Amino acid sequence: MMGSREEILERIRKNTKEVFEMPDLAPLEKSALRFDDPVEGFSASLAAAGGKAVRAYGDEEKVKDPVSPIVRDLYPDAKKIVSPLDWLSCRTASDEDFSSPEEMDGTDVAVVEGEFGVAENGAVWIVRIGRYRVLPFICEALVIVLDHRNIVDNMHQAYLRMGETPLSDGEGSGFATFISGPSKTADIEQALVFGAHGARSVTVVLV
Amino acid sequence: MKIGLFIPCYINALYPQVGVASYKLLKSFGLDVDYPLDQTCCGQPMANAGFEDSARELAEAFDDRFEGYDYVVGPSASCVVFVKDHYDGLLKRKEHRCRTEEKIYDICEFIHDVVKPTSLKASFPHKVSIHNSCHGVRLLGLSSPSERNIPYFSKLRDLLSLVKDIEIVEPERPDECCGFGGMFSVEENAVSEEMGRSKVRLHMATGAEYITGADSSCLMHQDGIIRREHLPIKTIHIVEILASGL
Amino acid sequence: MSTRHSIAAAEFLKDKDKAHWHDETLWMVRSKRDRMSRSLPEWEDLRDAACAIKQYSNSHLAGLLEEFERNAVKNGAIVHWASDAQEYREIIYGILKEHGVRHFVKSKSMLAEECGLTPFLESKGIETVESDLGERIVQLMHVKPSHIVLPAVHIKREEVGKLFEKEMGTEPGNCDPTYLTHAARKNLRHIFIEADAAMTGANFAVASTGEAVVCTNEGNADICTSLHKLQITAFGLEKIVPDRRSLGVFTRLLARSGTGQPSTTYTTHYASPQKGGELHIIIVDNGRSRILAEKDHRKSLNCLRCGACMNTCPVYRRSGGYSYTYFIPGPIGINLSMLKDPQKYYDNVSACSLCMSCSNVCPAKVDLGEQIYLWRQTLDEIGKADKAKKLLSDSMDIVMEHPHLFNMAMKMAPAVNHLPHFLVYNHLNTWGSGREMPEFARHSFNNLWKSGKVEAGAMQDNILAEEHKTETDNRQKED
Repeated sequence: MMGSREEILERIRKNTKEVFEMPDLAPLEKSALRFDDPVEGFSASLAAAGGKAVRAYGDEEKVKDPVSPIVRDLYPDAKKIVSPLDWLSCRTASDEDFSSPEEMDGTDVAVVEGEFGVAENGAVWIVRIGRYRVLPFICEALVIVLDHRNIVDNMHQAYLRMGETPLSDGEGSGFATFISGPSKTADIEQALVFGAHGARSVTVVLV
Repeated sequence: MKIGLFIPCYINALYPQVGVASYKLLKSFGLDVDYPLDQTCCGQPMANAGFEDSARELAEAFDDRFEGYDYVVGPSASCVVFVKDHYDGLLKRKEHRCRTEEKIYDICEFIHDVVKPTSLKASFPHKVSIHNSCHGVRLLGLSSPSERNIPYFSKLRDLLSLVKDIEIVEPERPDECCGFGGMFSVEENAVSEEMGRSKVRLHMATGAEYITGADSSCLMHQDGIIRREHLPIKTIHIVEILASGL
Repeated sequence: MSTRHSIAAAEFLKDKDKAHWHDETLWMVRSKRDRMSRSLPEWEDLRDAACAIKQYSNSHLAGLLEEFERNAVKNGAIVHWASDAQEYREIIYGILKEHGVRHFVKSKSMLAEECGLTPFLESKGIETVESDLGERIVQLMHVKPSHIVLPAVHIKREEVGKLFEKEMGTEPGNCDPTYLTHAARKNLRHIFIEADAAMTGANFAVASTGEAVVCTNEGNADICTSLHKLQITAFGLEKIVPDRRSLGVFTRLLARSGTGQPSTTYTTHYASPQKGGELHIIIVDNGRSRILAEKDHRKSLNCLRCGACMNTCPVYRRSGGYSYTYFIPGPIGINLSMLKDPQKYYDNVSACSLCMSCSNVCPAKVDLGEQIYLWRQTLDEIGKADKAKKLLSDSMDIVMEHPHLFNMAMKMAPAVNHLPHFLVYNHLNTWGSGREMPEFARHSFNNLWKSGKVEAGAMQDNILAEEHKTETDNRQKED
């Protein structure tokens, strides 16, 4: 399986004439864009990316499932609501109900949990997707549940928080993604269109 | 302070009035200005076209010609920055380092940074659109490049602001290339002309009567289009405005 | 005095409206990029950091690639090394053949373009479908991408409407971008599901974790690869970054520079295959290791392929991607083509006015304009300098090296102003095709100085004005 591994490495070693040191990124990371109110910043960035943030926290009593009423309200016609979250009362199917990823085509709404959000670009880091990776991409609408206390300012903080732990460690599936708003394209005359291939709409429910 | 006036070849032949205005302007500050005779070309046209070797002897002659001066000052940002950035490489075969690169200034840069006048006699009751030439902006630093996230500055605007009765504007795409580029203008003449037409249109859209800047070459190119298409705008080198009351 | 680029550019500019639209469309992208860059006070520090990290990674490539490989294998991926385009194609074909793949989908990969992957697989009977909308449009039109990030930026909606009518049965005459995009969504969704395997390129490969990172807006890469058990990811070896921490810098720059967004919609990290599947990662050299030794051009390997240099290039915007003879157009394309094969691609070097805007937008600070200047210096040596241009340069040089010749020329030149119009403006004079010639002054500055008129001062303006007036009058009479 190696192919021309040794030849390539040898050429690289031979042709590397000058060596540069790794820069210290700390000053940049320290001076990078921050938000007085990360939730506000996140919501604005997500809106700019075509998505929507909905606040479902602050109601004094702790509701067991604050997400389902929002999903039903936003997507009243949704018939197929798929999610790996077992507490989600509005779901019509669990990810475990499918025996191939293709069967997930036709999912009206997918609901997954996000690990943390990024205020500067409205992206959410999604690691726990369930049985098939395709779920958050193949659905018509994506709902991401995110703890509002888990919002970082910028991508430096995002990657520092993630650290260098491999995605395949422990329970990890070796796959994760940042999603910032709905799928989009401008490939026809630079006209912005949502829903190129992935979800046509993205709602982040902040809990 | 002894200043050697550098008059680039095309200004010498086509726009001597720019040289005259430069001389008068420098003299008006009470400076000791001299014009070393028999100047020709700095070598930029050949080098930019890919013939640095041809520029070498010109660079050597240039360096010798201005040896005795404290400053070399010329009314062309592009030629000045060519000397500044490339002469050291061109003069490698000489025993000494290039002596000019440290002391050469575009005239606007020189007046702005060294002379620092707080007023001028000039009056120019017209609306002028600043032509931010590529090499002036991006190589010499006469103004802040539009690509960079740095605070706005413009040495040309600062100087023009000392002129009485003038109205100063800048076009949209404030430092988009006009398409001259030396031999680029003939080798890629279709693109060059189209760039020039776009640029003149952007200047005209400001409602200005004049396009002004620190590079006669860009102005010459745009003037060629203006005259061919009989457009209602004129070009003028910035020193002609700054020296207008002299 | 012309090159293949200048000839093609002149052709492109004949359709004035379309050329104008092309310029405006790309300028809009540049403007979006400007707004994004100004939204971050630390923008210039980010560019410096990106450049420094790339300088580090490109000078520690061997170690970083080995580290990447070790971690990728731990993640369960299978790592291949391809020395050149042929080996790359054959590795991919080998994998597909072994799994009996007939239908193959891929997301946008400039490396695949570079190595001619799709035509090769098609010739082997493997149907290969581009899944990015722009790439799909150009594939169905049987043309090449004209921009590395916006492959169909040169195509009008009416053309897409006609194409989709034929290929996907859309309503005749409907060329609404939303309608057409959603038609393609439906059409391609079916193709994605029917395919047997999928492939992506990579924007970054992280040494510390052995994962590949793919940045897209459409989600095509993610759907394709998540639907199938067999996934291939291939990247040029300079895509390596030391760690995730470095991604903090690059992901902040990439989309802001390329399309003027704070980030792409999807930034996906691929480390392991799906359950029961295979993830093949191909590390490709194809000339890159050779560039490491080119001191003046090594920084080309910093390139993130964001396309910002194309969007800002006044020549690219006014000549279109097809006027370049290399598959990557614009400033970075000129440089990469010369690194690939100067004898073959020297025609692109003319496509630059040395305005240096590209060097100032580049997020990884590739010194694009400066490198083009250096390439020009090599053309004469490799026998590819334009003869007319060289003649012009040489004759200028002879005159300029001899002040008395220059002075004589300046004395005689004003006579040119009085030549009949047809002698000045003919097909030999490319300057004159759209511009009037500048007029020679009656007295050069040299002469004025020698005659003491400059120092005498006062009246010169009047003398010059009088002169200019006479010249213009004469010219008008001749017209």
